[in-house]
Amino acid sequence: MLKNTIIVLFIIVSILACRSGGDKSGILELDESEILEGDLEISKETIDDIIQSVSSPVEMAALVKGLGVDYSNKYLAPTDKADELSDRFSQALNLGIFAADLGYLNMYNKTSSVIEYISAIKTLADEIRVGQFFDFNTLKRLAQNYQNLDSLMYLSLRSFNEMDQYLRDNNRSGESALIITGVWIEGLYLATQVANDSPNHPELAERIGEQKIILEKLVLIIDNYKKNKQFAGLLEDLNEINSYFKDIEIKYIPGEPVSKINERGELEITQNEQSVVEISDEQLKDIIAIAKKIRDKIIKV
Amino acid sequence: MKTIIKIISVLLFFFSSTLYSQDLTQLVAQCAANSGNVTYLKDFVVKLDAGTPGGAPPTARFAMILSKNAMYRFSICTAPTSDGDAVLQLMDMNRLLGSTFIQATGKEFPYFDFKCQKTGVYHVFISFKEGKAGEGVGILSLVKKF
Repeated sequence: MLKNTIIVLFIIVSILACRSGGDKSGILELDESEILEGDLEISKETIDDIIQSVSSPVEMAALVKGLGVDYSNKYLAPTDKADELSDRFSQALNLGIFAADLGYLNMYNKTSSVIEYISAIKTLADEIRVGQFFDFNTLKRLAQNYQNLDSLMYLSLRSFNEMDQYLRDNNRSGESALIITGVWIEGLYLATQVANDSPNHPELAERIGEQKIILEKLVLIIDNYKKNKQFAGLLEDLNEINSYFKDIEIKYIPGEPVSKINERGELEITQNEQSVVEISDEQLKDIIAIAKKIRDKIIKV
Repeated sequence: MKTIIKIISVLLFFFSSTLYSQDLTQLVAQCAANSGNVTYLKDFVVKLDAGTPGGAPPTARFAMILSKNAMYRFSICTAPTSDGDAVLQLMDMNRLLGSTFIQATGKEFPYFDFKCQKTGVYHVFISFKEGKAGEGVGILSLVKKF
């Protein structure tokens, strides 16, 4: 009887050992109190809801590409010092920055640089113990094979989403908030730099102005963790950006949605309610400057 | 013997949870691939129990920010083991903007496209027809910016 029990226990231990094989750090548990202090002022559900709602790392890049703007590597954050980022706070924030850059590279099919950014993301993800979501070898293989660009984009984004979900499911919403803040700041930086270099895109100015909606939500989340010094610093930075957004007006024109079945038999819905952003050249100029200042501060090792 | 049964139960639990997550990962990949020539953005994985007779069907809710001048595709896929068929609805506050199932005609769509004209927070609701139990995946993709 005892012998059988020992055998079965041995099997269980072996299986559990295999199951944790994907996590190279060997430690999945993290105590959020390491980087967070104090009680949350808004519920965890609300925080998770906001984090989940924030746009994907590729959306701003898709907008820029949609405008016909050429690719430029000058908009990317350098990855060479990724392994010098020594604290969990900077690692999470910069992971978001690199994820947005990876979205930009993927959008323009710049596979030669993709590997460098996947590698930097993997380094930081390992540091904050979520590296198990990035299958570096598969991503690298896809990046080297020009026929699998859609798969590369899908796997990159899916890995990012899985990591984010894992953090939120494991009471690590603070790190998740940092990552999406990094994604957002890099997206804002990309859009504002493109607006600076190619000022003939009024639509881009409108999309930049709309970032006010997301920024207000990020401020709300980061404010919850402000008892931590690093979070308080980030909150100050976000509030500084916010001070340039506060006078931008967003108006809404009412309208009813219209549905139709197109020639391919697909259901298409057009929203007729519209948002209209009023942003002056002066406001845009200020936002371009503040976005650069804060983003450069974050990527500085 | 009882001890061994308990241990085997624990083993089966670990195996089944592993298989469960693998199946859903595959379902997400398959659903994203079936969405057509679009850019995957997010997925919404749901597992819902059956509702009570006469009650509202259990529903999962997900928030997202959509941007003006973008066309998004909302796809829905039901796991083969589900009792019911998954339905995805897009809501703006309390207003229904689109659904993969049109109640009035009984017509079902694997996805629908949404031309967004207003940047803001929207919600996806996923439920199963007649409040049945099921597992499913919703996918948000970007069709194009316009």
